[in-house]
Amino acid sequence: MNEHTVKSYEDELRLLDRRIAQMGGYAEKLLVQAMDALERRDPKLAEKAVSDDVMVDQLERELQEQVIVMIARRQPLANDLRHIMTVIKIAADLERIGDLAKNIAKRALAIANEPYPKPLMTGMRHMTEMVQTQLRDVLDALTALDAEKAMQVWRDDQQVDAMYNSLFRELLTYMMEDPRNIGICTHFLFGAKNIERIGDHTTNIAENVYYLVHGVPIADDRPKGDKTSSTLITPRQ
Amino acid sequence: MALDIAKYRRRRLRSTITVALCWAASALGLTILGVILATLLYKGIAGFGPKVFTEMTPPPGSDGGLLNAIAGSLVMTIAGVIVGTPIGILAGTYLAEYGRYSKVSSVIRFINDILLSAPSIVTGLFVYELLVRPMGHFSAFAGAAALAVLVIPTVVRTTENMLLLVPNQLREASSALGLPQSLVIRKVAYKAARAGMITGVLLAVARVSGETAPLLFTALNNQFWSTNLNAPMASLPVVIFQYALSPYEDWQRLAWTGALLITAAVLTLSIAARWLSSSRTQQ
Amino acid sequence: MNLMSKDVDTGLTEKITVSNLKFFYGSTLALKNISLPLYERQVTAFIGPSGCGKSTLLRVLNRMYDLYPNQRAEGQVMFDGENVLDMTDLNLLRSRIGMVFQKPTPFPMTIYENIAFGIRLYERLPKSEVDGRVESALEKAALWKEVKDKLHSSGLSLSGGQQQRLCIARTVAIRPEVILFDEPCSALDPISTAKVEELIDELKNEFTIAIVTHNMQQAARVSQRTAFMYLGELVEFGVTQKLFTNPSDKRTQDYITGRFG
Repeated sequence: MNEHTVKSYEDELRLLDRRIAQMGGYAEKLLVQAMDALERRDPKLAEKAVSDDVMVDQLERELQEQVIVMIARRQPLANDLRHIMTVIKIAADLERIGDLAKNIAKRALAIANEPYPKPLMTGMRHMTEMVQTQLRDVLDALTALDAEKAMQVWRDDQQVDAMYNSLFRELLTYMMEDPRNIGICTHFLFGAKNIERIGDHTTNIAENVYYLVHGVPIADDRPKGDKTSSTLITPRQ
Repeated sequence: MALDIAKYRRRRLRSTITVALCWAASALGLTILGVILATLLYKGIAGFGPKVFTEMTPPPGSDGGLLNAIAGSLVMTIAGVIVGTPIGILAGTYLAEYGRYSKVSSVIRFINDILLSAPSIVTGLFVYELLVRPMGHFSAFAGAAALAVLVIPTVVRTTENMLLLVPNQLREASSALGLPQSLVIRKVAYKAARAGMITGVLLAVARVSGETAPLLFTALNNQFWSTNLNAPMASLPVVIFQYALSPYEDWQRLAWTGALLITAAVLTLSIAARWLSSSRTQQ
Repeated sequence: MNLMSKDVDTGLTEKITVSNLKFFYGSTLALKNISLPLYERQVTAFIGPSGCGKSTLLRVLNRMYDLYPNQRAEGQVMFDGENVLDMTDLNLLRSRIGMVFQKPTPFPMTIYENIAFGIRLYERLPKSEVDGRVESALEKAALWKEVKDKLHSSGLSLSGGQQQRLCIARTVAIRPEVILFDEPCSALDPISTAKVEELIDELKNEFTIAIVTHNMQQAARVSQRTAFMYLGELVEFGVTQKLFTNPSDKRTQDYITGRFG
């Protein structure tokens, strides 16, 4: 790609990319921290995750302001226009991801002193790792403008959904087995839902990366795997 | 980098010297002009009086005025301009509009430039050969013809230049409305160039009204009142020429007065031309 | 008989169809095989760096180049079923394809005369009707309110933006079918520019419009189709929205994003 005749424009675009990459890094770190806090029952780590979310919010505000100024000053067109618009949409997704991770950390704080069954944690850990990889891949795809990789992330979200489905069933089973588990399992359920939502935001980002590269939205419908909205499990089953 | 003071000083000095030289040159020119005008005024005013405009040129030793010379000058200048201006404007229009890019035009332009800088005495001789000799006598008619020949190149030049100054965009804009070229020229280009063209004609008048040489060979002179275009006619420049060279003091005085008159007339015309072109362009 | 061709894809009528147009300044080839349509009642914008041939193309459409020696065009420019390049009555052609120029060019006459002049050239009308036409032309050019009390002062006394709208009114007054704008706003301030753009948007309900502009945002704002030209070639022609958000050709993208190098 040729460089812009106006060098400062080029610098601004690079700064934008740096900011979004930084934001992505924070969001990813937040997710890991929240999950670790949940797993290790570490209230300190959980508190840190809650307070670190401020960084993501702060970065989003800076980015938004930069984009507004750039639109006013540069009147971007074609791929620059798509670049800038995509970045601001991705920033919104990352901000939501940060919030969702923060929410997991809060739940970790709430149940820090409760005992909970080990096998539950394995499923959560696995799902988190999967989403984390997805998030990292999509951020890489953004940096490299790799639409194929973004497409891959977009397709793989199905697996996250599938995993969420089984976790959902598993948690319901625990709750049915012993009503004393309900409190903690509800927190886990929301935690799992949050991770699944992070997966959805990741696919949003993937769609935006694809649009940025090709200038047209992804043509097919995304394979949807989350069936929990239409699932009801009763004790008699 | 710091300012090189020495270099800056040298530059200042050079600048001051140049400005001083310019002032000196202007002052010299203006002084000469001032002296000429003062002399004219001083010497010319002596013979000035109502008689200048009411009486004919006198024989030596008697009283008289310049009426026949003034009238002759007016008649021949006006006749020359009336004949020369349309030809000049048409030719100038051809050069600037129709023939702007043709080879013929550059030839015409070249010849016109030669004509413009040719000594006026040559014009006089030319008309002498062309009209006076075949007719067998001097005439106001031939004088006017000689002046017309002098008017033409000046008017051609100014007309062409003024039309070239009309922005091409104006021509394109009028053509874009579907105007034929003749209308583009008449309705738009002439309108835009009018002030300049009138100025050109006025300057041509100013130029020919002071010409002596061509009239010497054509209209000659006439001591008496004459309105016959087919006979010799007096004119201010020729009278000045003749009287100034004469040994008679009253003739010399009249010559000075004539010179004052003609200078005043030319000055008025030039100022009028200036005023006209500046007031038009300010719009 | 319908002489105009309908475009199958767009359902729009091609008012002017340029095909395989070549243009020469002396022996220099300035337009290399240009083919594109101008759709009826649509604004087509031409963009590209200086010297790319966009103005030249415009000047072929109304045969403006005929005013100068050593310029010639080859190919076809079909205008309502007739080849513009073969026409002999250029004055008639130019009354049907009007043009507005970069610099405002009011004639050295009154505001009223500037407009009435062109009308009287083609139609013999009673004065009252000429008055009406002058008014409606000024109205269309959104200038009437500003000049109605000084119709008989010089056209040169108006501001630059008003002069340009006067020129547009003058062009509109003779009721052409197509109006060509050659960088109409490059000498105007932003407010006047906005007024002219608004005007172009209005005019497209009645006229077929082509506009050459150096301002890409302007092309994006006023046109429905955009053509990007480079070095005498038509690089890309298409729907404006598409061309400015997702151009097909890399050269177009580089140009509109300011990466030309």
